[in-house]
Order: sequence, then structure tokens, then C-alpha cells
Amino acid sequence: MSLKGFTRNFKPLEILTEEEIEAIHRGTLEVLWVTGMRVEHERALKLFEKNGCQVDYDNMRVRIPPALVEECLRKAPSSFHCEARDYKKSLMLGNNNLYLGAAPGLQTVDLDTWEPRLATRKENYDSVTLLDALPTVHFFSPYTPYFGFEGVPPCMAMLESLAARIRNSTKFQCVGFSNDSEIFAIKMAQAVGIEILGTCAAAPPLTIYRDAAESTFRFAEAGLPIRIISGQVMGGTAPATIAGGIITNNAEVITGLVLAQLIKPGTRVLVKDFSSPMDMSTGAPAFGRVGTSLHNAASNQLFRRYGVPIDNTSCYPNSKLPDYQCGYEKTSRLLIAGLSGANTLLLHGSVHGELTHHPIQAILDDDLAGMVKHFMGGVGVNDTTLAVNLIEEVGPIPGHFLNKEHTRKWWKLEQFVPKAADRLTYPEWMQTGKKTCLDYAKERMGEILATHKATPLAPGQEEDVERILDEARNYYRKKELISEGEMASYRESMKSPNYPFG
Amino acid sequence: MSTELLENLKKAIVEYDSEEAVNLARRAIQEKIDPIKILAAMTAAIRQVGDGFGKGELWLPDLVGAADAMTSATPIIEKEIKRRGITRESLGTVVIGTVYGDIHTIGKTMVATLLIAEGFIVNDLGINVTSERFVEGIKKYKADILAMSALMTMTAPEQRKIIETLKKEELRDKVKIMVGGGAITEEFANSIGADGYDPTAPGAVKLARRLIGK
Repeated sequence: MSLKGFTRNFKPLEILTEEEIEAIHRGTLEVLWVTGMRVEHERALKLFEKNGCQVDYDNMRVRIPPALVEECLRKAPSSFHCEARDYKKSLMLGNNNLYLGAAPGLQTVDLDTWEPRLATRKENYDSVTLLDALPTVHFFSPYTPYFGFEGVPPCMAMLESLAARIRNSTKFQCVGFSNDSEIFAIKMAQAVGIEILGTCAAAPPLTIYRDAAESTFRFAEAGLPIRIISGQVMGGTAPATIAGGIITNNAEVITGLVLAQLIKPGTRVLVKDFSSPMDMSTGAPAFGRVGTSLHNAASNQLFRRYGVPIDNTSCYPNSKLPDYQCGYEKTSRLLIAGLSGANTLLLHGSVHGELTHHPIQAILDDDLAGMVKHFMGGVGVNDTTLAVNLIEEVGPIPGHFLNKEHTRKWWKLEQFVPKAADRLTYPEWMQTGKKTCLDYAKERMGEILATHKATPLAPGQEEDVERILDEARNYYRKKELISEGEMASYRESMKSPNYPFG
Repeated sequence: MSTELLENLKKAIVEYDSEEAVNLARRAIQEKIDPIKILAAMTAAIRQVGDGFGKGELWLPDLVGAADAMTSATPIIEKEIKRRGITRESLGTVVIGTVYGDIHTIGKTMVATLLIAEGFIVNDLGINVTSERFVEGIKKYKADILAMSALMTMTAPEQRKIIETLKKEELRDKVKIMVGGGAITEEFANSIGADGYDPTAPGAVKLARRLIGK
């Protein structure tokens, strides 16, 4: 059993011709074979060589023959199941289904000044609770909601984040990798009896660095699904042209896919097209620009042909607050991704790029997601919805439809009503304090936090999570990634009577 | 003649023509033009591009293109300066790099380019730079400033490690340390004992001047 995502009930948006798809595919194969990829991992290089790739060990360069690429694309399953803590919330990735995930932020943002600051432990746990309650959040990305929170040393951020999500949510969880964090993430998942989606992140252009390859081995060998990402920025780490960018991105993620299939054939792989153009005045990724959507839409078409599920560039706005810019950046990105066949997308909570996250934004995003879900459902056409008999019954004016049973039943199914939106008449709006969607979102946040309680971990599981966190803390202290000073303030932050929830 | 040659050299840089910049730099040396003057012309060209960038008239690819043309020609001039045994004047010497474990290059390159445009001598150690290599670079180039970049939460602590290494090597008091990158905040910079932080490349240049009192 799995959670129903957003089903697209009509043909996907296609922006490339067959010939154009073929040209991009051929370009990818040429880059993989002629230019090759740098893979900074000896065991991976040996595995590539054993399977017919040309390997130059001195330069860590691997050239992958087209036949192997196509064979591995076939071996990767076209759709697959990912098991959540609550099995009813498991995902069935692939086909015409879109799942939305909560998006991470490095810090939270002050709602009065719109300035960023580090989240507290309580804010992190509360945000997880809120995201657990929002119906359009189907899963959590790594580091969600925050990359770290007060008192936590950076090397523990990934694992503290996962622990918070496992404790306060029964939804499906993804993890990243850093300094061997995946060893403990896998242990934690096994202790709680869930699956997690691991990560292999290529470094554009055309490089898979040591930790990314190592992480791929660890997740594949543990029998877990892997999300393969390459966060290219067009004009910087990829060609400035969309078509050229798709080719390098393809080469990077397909190399990760080939590696995963060689480690363990049939490994479940979700490929991520995490591309965006570079902002040419700051050098930052311009996630919210429309070029991102062109890249995503074309890549979705290509991966549909490959039969491999695809994730798109996260719906990160470049705006710093939930304003008009944030709204159009998120809406256009989400809508185009949904219409063109993305299978997963991170949406909820990101306020500015990956730098800030706020639960208020997540509530606003829940409404946006609801709109897009409704659109993707398409138009139901049958005798009842065509309503020809009803139209005859009502006839011309003074007839109307408001008093009909058909209306009472169907308007709720045929309309989507946003929860945190201003829907008042002008006089009502002026008399009730001129509230905006932000005010409504704040109210909804209060209601959710007052009422929603995530299903607690079973007896023994909580102890396992804490034991594995402790194991990781000791590991990083030995590796001198946590200094004694950091450890002292980390311990202090855990002294709260409400630990681990704040 | 020499004025025309230097004007052409400036033109080559502002038109991102590395090959032409190298040719003209060689010719300038052959024609025995004062290498300090050649370098001044090249720096003026970079400053022109830097100013255009600051005004929003030029963009990153322009800045990086001009910097590439300049750095292609610079070794030719530096060799001549060394041969003649003269001292090159500058605002100061900077050693810059992205810390170990981090391979983000663009922000660091922006800062390096704008520092060159401002009149600093910049030694770019590249990406994934270990504390040992930073120490080596500071000693080798007799750096006044160490500039470090880290884009990821996980690699930011590396900056702390480098500062600790500098203390052990008794080098900490000899350089001013500035840090930057997406994962860095003012608070973090203070906590690791850096001398300064700025979130933008143009801000980093002002910071560098302030740190060395120029």
C-alpha cells in the first residue's frame, strides 16, 4: 500500500521533438564515451573497468560505452516502492504520479524583520510536526526543515535532522551524506524498520567525488533506493544553453545510475534534474528563473523515454519572503514540473533558495500544492459531469443551479478552495483587520501545532535512535570533527527537560 | 609606441582575448617597457571591467573572461620583474582558496578577481585546499591576508581547523584572515576567530582594504 500522490490524468507536456530527444541522448552517449567522467573512487573505477569501461587510473577518468549506459538504464526500475514508518504513507515512485517533499533551509527567518537566524531545537521539531500534518507533504528531503539547529555541531546536523524527522513524522524520509553520516543514517533506518532514500551527488562538471561514490556503495549494498543528483548551474558548472546543460547533467546522473546498477543490479534509482541558470551578477543559482523549468520539462521528457523516475529542481524561490515574486517563482516551477511529468519535487517551506525555511511558507505552499494537484486531476467527463439532463431541467433564466443537489455534491469535488487565502468581500476584509494570506497561515500554524501529534516511536525504537546518535557523536569526536568546546555546548543544548523535542 | 602597445594590451584584456594578451605582454617585455608599467596597465583594464561589473553593466562571464586574460599574461611580466630584481608595489598579498572537502570555485574566483582589480597580488590556491597547503601558501607568498571560502555547512568547520593550524605554526598573528561563502555567517566568523567576514565579493574587497589599513 502506498500514499496517493498527485496523479496527472492527461498527456504530459512535451517540449522536444523526437529528433531533439534523440540528439540529446546521442550527445550524452558521446560525452560519456569520448570525454568521460572523473570518478574519484578506486573501487568504483575498478568496477567500471570490470564492466567494459575504459579507465585511466592516473586521471581517475572513466569512459562508459553506450551499450553499458543503455543496459543500465534498462536495469533501473521504471517505478518502485519506498517504505515509510507508516506503511500507508509509503511512496510508489514513477509513472504519472507526482509526490511533493518538504524543502530544507539553512536557517529560519524572522517573520517581522525577514532576516535569517539559526533555528532552535524546538523550532526544528515543531516544523517537522507541522510538515507531518500538512496533507500535500508526501515526504521529507534530507536536512528538512533545517540544515542544523542551535547547539548541534555541523557534522551531526544530518543525523540530528533525520532523528527529528523519524521521531516526529511517519512520512517517508530522504538522507544525504557527509563525513560518513550515511553509515549512521542507514543504522537508524534499520533500527526503526523503515526505508530511506539515499543520495549520490555528482559534482558538475563531469565529476563524481569520493564521498558521493562511497555513499552510492553504502546505500546500494544496504538495498536502499538512491536519489542521484548533480546540482549544475548553467553558465558556471554547465553550458549556458539548456540543451548543453541537459547533456552534462545527463552524463553526471547517468554515471551515478550506472554505478548503482553495477554495484547491485536493479537498485532503485530516482534521478534528479537539479539544474538552474546562474545569476550572472552574484554567481548564485537562479532557481526561480523560467530557464530552470525549460531544463526540467525537457529532462522529464527524456527520462520518461528512459523509463527512470525523475525529481526536478526544488521549488526554491529567489525571493527572501513570501511575496509576489516568491508566489510566481514557486507556482510556475511547480506547475510546469507537474505538467511535464516530474515524479518528485521539493516545495514546502523554502523561503529563499536553500538558505531559509519557514513553517508559514510551508502552509502557503500547501495551498499552492492543492491547486496544482487539482489541475493535474484534469476534467472528469461522464454522463453525470456532462449534466445534460440537469441543464435541460434548469433551462434559461430564471433557472439557476445553486439549489440543485448536483451542485451541492459536485462543487466540492470540482473546486479547490485554498485554506490560507483571503476570500472575503472588500467590506468584510476592511472590517476584519485587512488580513493577508500570511495572517491566515499564522493562524493555521497555531491550530496545527496545538492539535497535531505525530505517532510516537514504538518502545525501544526511541532508545535505538538515541544510541545511534551517541555512537555518531563519539565517532566524530574521535575524528576531531567535534571539538571539546562544541561538545560542551552540544551537551548543554540537550539538557532541556523537553529533550529531544525542544 | 609603448603607449599604443599598452593600450592594445588593455584592450585584449577587456575583450577577454588571452592569446592576444600573452602576445602583447611578450612584445612589451621585448620592447623593454618597464614591467611595473605593463602590470599597471593590465590592472587598469581589470579595474575597468570590475567597475562595469559593479555598475551592473557587465556580468560574471565578462569579469572571469578578463581575469583569465590577465592571469595568462601576468607570469610573463612577473618573470621580468624578478629578473630585474625590482619590487612590485601592491596593496598587499592575498592567499585565497576554497577549504578542504569543498569544491565550489565561483564565489572564490569572483573575490580573487575583484581583489586583483583593486590592486592586490592574489595567489589563488584553488579548491579543496588542505590546511597544510594554506600554511605553505602563506609562507611561500608572504601573505598579508588569507581569504577562505566554504559553501557547505559541513565544510565551514574546516576554516576553524585552518585557523588552529596557523596558531600552531605561529603564523596566526602574521596574516589577517577573512572568510566567506554560502555557509558562513558573521557569528560563525567571530566564533572561529577570523578577522572579518563579508557576504558579497565587492564587500570582501572593502574588507580586505580595511584589514590592512589601506
